[in-house]
Formats: sequence, structure tokens, C-alpha cells
Amino acid sequence: MNEAATYDLERKTRVQKIVRMVFLYTMLTLFAIFVLIPFYWMILSSLKTPEQIESVPPALWLRFSEMQFSNYYEAVFSVDSQPFLRYMYNTVIVAALSTAGTVITTVLSAFAFARLNFRFKELFFLLLIMTMMIPGEMFVITNFITVNQLGWVRPDQTYWDALMAMSIPFMTSIFYIFFLRQTFKTIPDELYYAAKVDGTKDFKYLWKVMIPIARPTIITITILNAMGTWNAYIWPQLVTSTRHGRLYHYQLVSNGLRNAFSAEFQPQIHLQMAAAFMVTLPILIVFFLLKKHIMRGVSRSGIKG
Amino acid sequence: MLEQKHNIKAWIYLLPALVLLVVFTFYPIVNAFILVFMEGYRYIDGTWTGWTLTGNIRYVLNSQLFWDAMRNTLVIVFVSVPISVIISLFIAVWLNSIKRLQGTFQTIFFLPYVTNSIAIGMAFAVIFNRDFGLFNLILGLFSIDPINWVGTGASWGRAMTALMVFIVWNGLAFKIIVFLSGLQSIDKQYYDAARIDSASKRRVFLKITVPLLSPMIAFITITSFIGAFKEYTAVVGMFGENLNPGGGGRNMMITIVGLVYESLGQVYPGATSEAAAAAIILFFMTLLLTLFNMYISKKRVHY
Amino acid sequence: METIQIRLENLTKIFQQKGKEETVAVKDLDITIPAGKLIGLLGPSGCGKSTTLYMISGLLRPTTGKIYFGDNEVTNIPPENRGIGLVFQNYALYPHMTVRQNIMFPLENLKFPKEEALNRAQKYADLVGIGHLMDRKPKQLSGGQQQRVAIARALVKEPRVLLLDEPLSNLDARLRLQTREEIKRIQRETGITTIFVTHDQEEAMSISDEIVVMKDGVQQQKGEPQKVYDKPNNMFVAKFLGNPPINLFEGRVSDGEVLVGEMKFGTSKGKAQEVMVGVRPEGFKRVKQGGFEVHVEFVETIGRDTTLIIRNPLDETKTFRAIIDADERVEADSKVRLSVKPNKMFLFDKESGELV
Ligand SMILES: Nc1ncnc2c1ncn2[C@@H]1O[C@H](COP(=O)(O)OP(=O)(O)OP(=O)(O)O)[C@@H](O)[C@H]1O
Ligand SMILES: [Mg+2]
Repeated sequence: MNEAATYDLERKTRVQKIVRMVFLYTMLTLFAIFVLIPFYWMILSSLKTPEQIESVPPALWLRFSEMQFSNYYEAVFSVDSQPFLRYMYNTVIVAALSTAGTVITTVLSAFAFARLNFRFKELFFLLLIMTMMIPGEMFVITNFITVNQLGWVRPDQTYWDALMAMSIPFMTSIFYIFFLRQTFKTIPDELYYAAKVDGTKDFKYLWKVMIPIARPTIITITILNAMGTWNAYIWPQLVTSTRHGRLYHYQLVSNGLRNAFSAEFQPQIHLQMAAAFMVTLPILIVFFLLKKHIMRGVSRSGIKG
Repeated sequence: MLEQKHNIKAWIYLLPALVLLVVFTFYPIVNAFILVFMEGYRYIDGTWTGWTLTGNIRYVLNSQLFWDAMRNTLVIVFVSVPISVIISLFIAVWLNSIKRLQGTFQTIFFLPYVTNSIAIGMAFAVIFNRDFGLFNLILGLFSIDPINWVGTGASWGRAMTALMVFIVWNGLAFKIIVFLSGLQSIDKQYYDAARIDSASKRRVFLKITVPLLSPMIAFITITSFIGAFKEYTAVVGMFGENLNPGGGGRNMMITIVGLVYESLGQVYPGATSEAAAAAIILFFMTLLLTLFNMYISKKRVHY
Repeated sequence: METIQIRLENLTKIFQQKGKEETVAVKDLDITIPAGKLIGLLGPSGCGKSTTLYMISGLLRPTTGKIYFGDNEVTNIPPENRGIGLVFQNYALYPHMTVRQNIMFPLENLKFPKEEALNRAQKYADLVGIGHLMDRKPKQLSGGQQQRVAIARALVKEPRVLLLDEPLSNLDARLRLQTREEIKRIQRETGITTIFVTHDQEEAMSISDEIVVMKDGVQQQKGEPQKVYDKPNNMFVAKFLGNPPINLFEGRVSDGEVLVGEMKFGTSKGKAQEVMVGVRPEGFKRVKQGGFEVHVEFVETIGRDTTLIIRNPLDETKTFRAIIDADERVEADSKVRLSVKPNKMFLFDKESGELV
């Protein structure tokens, strides 16, 4: 290797490095655009007039003065609009109920699995693992029958019935029990023994030591569960559907959204998109506020399997 | 005292979850296998007229709708999953090798995870609109005439293509973030060693990164396959309740889970048992696939 | 295989972390490593040994300074083009590859024909004595075997330079002894210019042609092991080399005599001043008369050596060690006369620690 060769090699590696970086950022930017486009198009369309929506080719952006913010007002209050505020209210209540239930049942049983010794523990745990592999549709069928037989789904369904039907079946989650048990397991045994020596009761130990330590995980579970309700479509549709003459304003946002302004031959796309963005925005806000918790939680849940 | 069994206490802690699980998970699993053998079951009053060994399964297998659902589901599973796994693997690897803007990109790529499938599905339907959609506008740049992707009368192939784009989009976030955290947990020293060993970037990727990431790739593939088997909401988001391009007509884009709900929504006697039959078929398909995947992983996944 | 000289010119590495102080890991290192020699890079933990090695390998970029292989500057050449072999501190064997695949990996990267790669891999595996373990995965090997695989992987492409980063630190005492001899043998057989990093002075002394002693990123002394041992430049080097360690006394030079308390240790031409007096345990000898009398507290006889643990007359609570011939019988709790062998005593400046 002589001087000139060395110089060439140096230059070649520098060039290679630059080319690589250009490639990396180009690809990442392209895919980032791909990810962002639906959001952009949703917002853009929600601010167009019906004429602008239909114009060919479509406008790729709007001047501020052209933006029809009134679409949002119309989407909520027009004659043929869905009662969105009502749906949001329903969704928040159902999310609160099912999340509170999930957190309580999850914390208690994760504690039992992580900390206590009891007969059939291994067996029960194995049963839970196997259950996780079974598609949820297997349960849905019987659950549908069950809520019917409990009288929660009737033609004269009350609001309370609907809330029960939508939240109670989702007040526990095997996956979250696992997730939290893993976190509880990382708390050293010595802490528990020390507490026992001091005569601390199990429940107090759980409340004063384990829950505070596992708080990030519990927050993650809370957020993910609440987001799950926000995005729930199938089950609410099933147990509050208008098909059998039930009252439709017990539904949740996703159901309301799907049925909004989508009459087959004249969908009102500008209003549809305004509604879609109104449903999307709250989760985006929650996401940006609690980004760390959510992203960490999701990536950890992936690793744990 | 510490090691003793706290039988009663433990079950008290488990009780709330246990009651819910028994009622809404364990019993339903068993019951699905009972329902499938019932004849003329009516969920309204819980009556049935008799028993049948294979009647419900046969009925489902003989319906055209089931085979439409099967075809759609299998296409979603075997096309969208490999595509999105590969794309997200590459994005994660690229993301892992930059420093500047890494956080920003990571956040952007996570966004599909925190969105409402119905809302985004509707946005995709607008993007794929024949006349004023963005997609055809882009194709127009390559002198391709407007194509009817999702409108009334769109062909199955086109509707499926559009649906595929949406489903891939929807699945990227989770896979990318899991791959990325997997990549970040690989000991840096292997990459140093590979540089010393004069491995090219390509070979580092194929011979070091992929094998060391293989447990995670296997995990993601299995969960994505199972998830894709259960796809339904995305279809509703894009095509509406009727699961058909343009919103009218019926069920061209139906999936197995769609079929379950379709049957569940019917009130005629025996409909519920048909739903159970479809769900059980789905169950065995995912089970088979999971076992097959586990078998492959055992052989191919390192450590 | 060509052998090649390595030259480090003013090599400095500063780690700059966000929001933290910068760390000067290596400072102004100027070392020439002769072709075909084995150099031991020696120093306490955190003194910059690995950093130096990584700069030579190209994995780290020096902050300033240059690196030459022979006449060519390689400072900006990436590691894959430097033609080096590196054995990592914890081996970094690819866990998913068999021993054979691990060893062949560098050859495949260099696009060797399959046949030749297989033969070469076998040859080097045999050289390090693991030729019969080719189909195992690293997990199924003992620490010593893994270490040999790492060496074989580093050697197989017949590099011009071999770098070893504390390769023996994970092995038990016996294996360590055996393996270091093997490394020496392999280095002799192949004639590769080799740098061997360790914090174990005995290890460095026993296998190196030359050692470089470092402290806080700065070179303290370089030379043949015995010479450095016999003539340390400063107190740090004197303390670092030798086991049991050197004895240090507060003493003084006056009228050409070196005195520790009332004891006369020897003579010095230096000016009168306070000094630190260093004497290695084997630097004492027993005498019938003359010298000075000390109180022996314990006696340890291990193999050939008898070690006397002696009360330090300057400080009743402290002791120092002297090693004498095992033939001489000394009782515990008795008095003996000792003197210091000429040339076995070092005087260090009290402030700077430099040799006076
Ligand atoms: N990537 C880094 N960033 C910041 N500081 C570093 C980095 N790598 C090493 N250092 C610092 O540089 C100094 C020298 O580290 P180095 O690893 O070279 O020590 P060493 O002599 O190999 O020690 P050991 O015997 O423990 O392996 C240490 O103070 C260390 O903390
Ligand atoms: Mg080191």
C-alpha cells in the first residue's frame, strides 16, 4: 500500500460514507412521507369545500383563507350529522370504566402471580398463556349471547345496560397481567422479606411498595387500554347496533365515525374527514403528551412476547 | 413462613380477574365448541332443536361467502405480513444507523400505532378515490390513467391492492419499534468484530444482524400472522360496514372474522352456530400456522 | 507474511459526551513497535489501553495524532482495510455461528474460495488446538476454548498486525499461564507484530519482548521487561511492576548516604534531600554484620522463597517484606541483620515521584 493508494482508499471511504448517509436519509424521509400522507390528506380534505374535494386534479394544499373551518362545526351540528359529542362522552365513560376495572384486576392478579405461592399456580399460569393464543372471536360469540341473556342488549336497552355491555367484558386482560407480572418480578425479593419482617401486610406492601415502583408500567397499561376503547369498533357495534332497532346514540366514536356522512352515492367527504380528524386528534394529543410511556411500553411488550 | 403457600389469600387476589376470565374467556372457549354441534340455536332465548356433528361446519364450508372470506384473509396474511415485516426491518435498521433526527423519525413511524383504524381507513379510501384521489394523481405523473381502486364497481384485485397498502401502513409502527429495540440490544462488539473481519455492510446485515435479530423476527412474524388472520376493522374502515367497494353491494372484501360477525348479526336459528364454526376454523388455522412457525423457528432461529 | 512496524505519533483521544466533561483517555502517545515483536501494553484499569488498541485497529478515530503501519499512514483508513486481527476483551464470537463459521467469516468476507477458506480455518484451528471443536457453537465452549477461537479468527486472514485486548482476563490461573505461553509460541511461529494489552504485570513481563507502561492515558516507560523492572523511571512504574510489590520508605540523602530512619540503606551521589526509597523484596540480603538490625514478625516459606515480614522501624504498625534464600532458617519474632544489595535500591523524588 503506497501513499497514493492510501489516499485513494481514504477518499473512497469518505465518499462511500456520504453516499450511504444520503441513501439512509432519503429512504427514511420517503417512508416518513408515506406514513404522514394519510394524516395530511385527512386534514387537507377536512378543510376543503365540496367543490374543492371533487375538483380534478385535487389541490395538494390550501391557502389559509380557503380553509373551511366551518366543516368542523357542520360535522358536529348539521342535521344529518351523528351526535359526535355524545359519542365522545360515551367513549370516555366506557374507557374510564373498563380501564379502572382492568387496572384493578390486573394489579391484584399480577401481584398474586409475582409474589404469592399457591396451589395450581403453574398450571393456572400455563392455562392463561394458552388462552392468549386463542383468537378473540372465539369468545365474542358466547359473550354476545351472555350479554344478551344478562339483559344488557334488548330493544329497550337502557344507557346503563349499554355501558355494562361495552365495559364489563373488557375489565381484565391476560396480556396486561403478564406484562405487569414481569415488572413486579423485577422488584427484588429482599424488599418483600424486609417488609414481612417489619410486619407489613401483603396488601399494604402491594399498595405502598410494588405499585409505586411499577407505576410506569401501570400508566402504560392505562393509556394502552384507554386507547383501545377509543378505537374499539366491533364490539360496541354488535351490542348497541341500530340494526335490531336499538338506540344508536349509545355507540362509541368509531362507530359514529364509520356511519357519518357515508351515504352510498353522495358521501360528504369534507365532513367525513372533519369527523375522522376529530376522532384522531385526541389520541394524537395523548400520544404526544405521554410519548415516552407509550413507546417504551409498546417496545417492551414486544420484547417480552 | 415466607415460602408457605397462601392458598386462600392468593385466590382472593385472583378472584376479580378470575371471575371475569371464567365468564368472558374460559367459558366462551368451551361454549364455542358446544355451539358448533348445536342445531337451530337461537341466542335470543337460548333454545335449540337438536345436535349435529358436522352440520354447522359443513354449512359454512359450503357457502360461497366463506370461501370469499378465506381467499381475502389468506391474501391479507400471506401478502401483507411479509411485505410489512421486511419494510419495517429495513426501516428499523436504517433508523438504527443514524444519529441526527433519529428521535423525530421514530416518532413519525410510531404514529400509525396510535390512530383509529376507522378514521385512517376512511382517509385511505379518499386517497384511493378514482377521480380526486392522491394515489391516481401520483400515478398520473407516470402517465397511468386513473384507476378505480375503491369506488363502486372496483375490481377485487384493485380493491385488495388498496386495502393491502393500508394494512401494511397500519402494521409498520409496532414492528419498527420492536425491531429497533431489538437492534439496540445487540452487543455493539459484534459489529466492531465484523468490521475487523472486513465484512461488507450487506454481509453484516445478512450474517450478523438478521441472525441475531431472528428471535424477534420470529416473534413479530407469528404475531403479525395471527393479527392478519383476524383482520376486519381495517376493511370496515376502508370499505364500510358492507365490506364492499363504494359502500354498496355486499361483502366482496369480507374476511373470516367479518364472516363471524356477519353470522352473529343474523337472528335466524342456527346463525350463532355458524359463527362458532367460522371462529373455530379460524382458531385451527392460526393454531396450525403458529405451530408451523414455532417449528421453523426452532430450526432456524438462533439461540 | 510480511512483518511490519507500527508507529504512533502524538496519539491523543478525547471522549466528548453531551453534557459531561470530556475524558482524555489517551494523551500524546509516541510509540514505535518494531516489526515482528510482541509488545505488552500495561497499566491499571481505565488507563486507556483498550482505547489505544481500538485506535490502532481503526474502530476509534484519534482526536489528534497519526498512526503508521510501516511507511503508510493509516489514521483515516477504516478497520476493514487495515489488515489487522483483533481479539476482543470478551472475545465477541458470533453466538449464532459455529466455531468453523466464526473462523471462516473473515475469509468469506475477503472472498476466498470455499476450499481454501476451509483449509485455512482448519489450519489455524489446529494451531490454537481447537481443531476438534469446529462444529460447536461458542456457548458450548469453555472460556479458554472461546479465547482460542477468537485468536484463530484473528489470525486466519494472516494479518500484518495482531491486537489482543486482555485476552486472558476471563481464564482461571492455570489456563491463563498455559494460554499465554501458547500466544507467545504462535506469535513466534507467525512473526506477526503483536500488541498485547493487560493490567497484569506478571503476564506482560513474561511474554512481551517489550512493555509499555501507561497511566491515565500517558506513557510512563517503555523497554524490555527486565530492564523496566530493574530500572523504573518513576515510583508508579516501580510500584506497578513486581509481586510482592516494592517496599517504599520515607528516607533522606545526607552526606552521600541513604538513610531510612537510623538505618543506612546505601550510598548516593545525589544532593542532600528528602526522598522516597524503594527496595524490592529481593533487594535485601541477610548479613552477619554491618547493615541494620530488624525485627521479623512472621516468616512465609513458599516453594523456593522465604519471605520475611518485618516490622517497619519507622512506623510500628507497618511491615515490609524481604525475600531471602529458602536455605536460610529464620524464626518468627526474632531479630536479623539485613543490608540492601547495591543497584537494587531506587530513590524517588518525594514530590514528582521521578527517579532521582
Ligand atoms: N466511549 C467512551 N466514552 C467516554 N469515555 C470513554 C469511552 N471509552 C472509554 N472511555 C474512558 O476512557 C478511559 C480509558 O478507557 P479504556 O477502555 O481505554 O481503559 P482500559 O485501560 O482498557 O481499562 P480496562 O483495563 O478496565 O479495560 C476511561 O476513563 C474510560 O472511562
Ligand atoms: Mg480495556
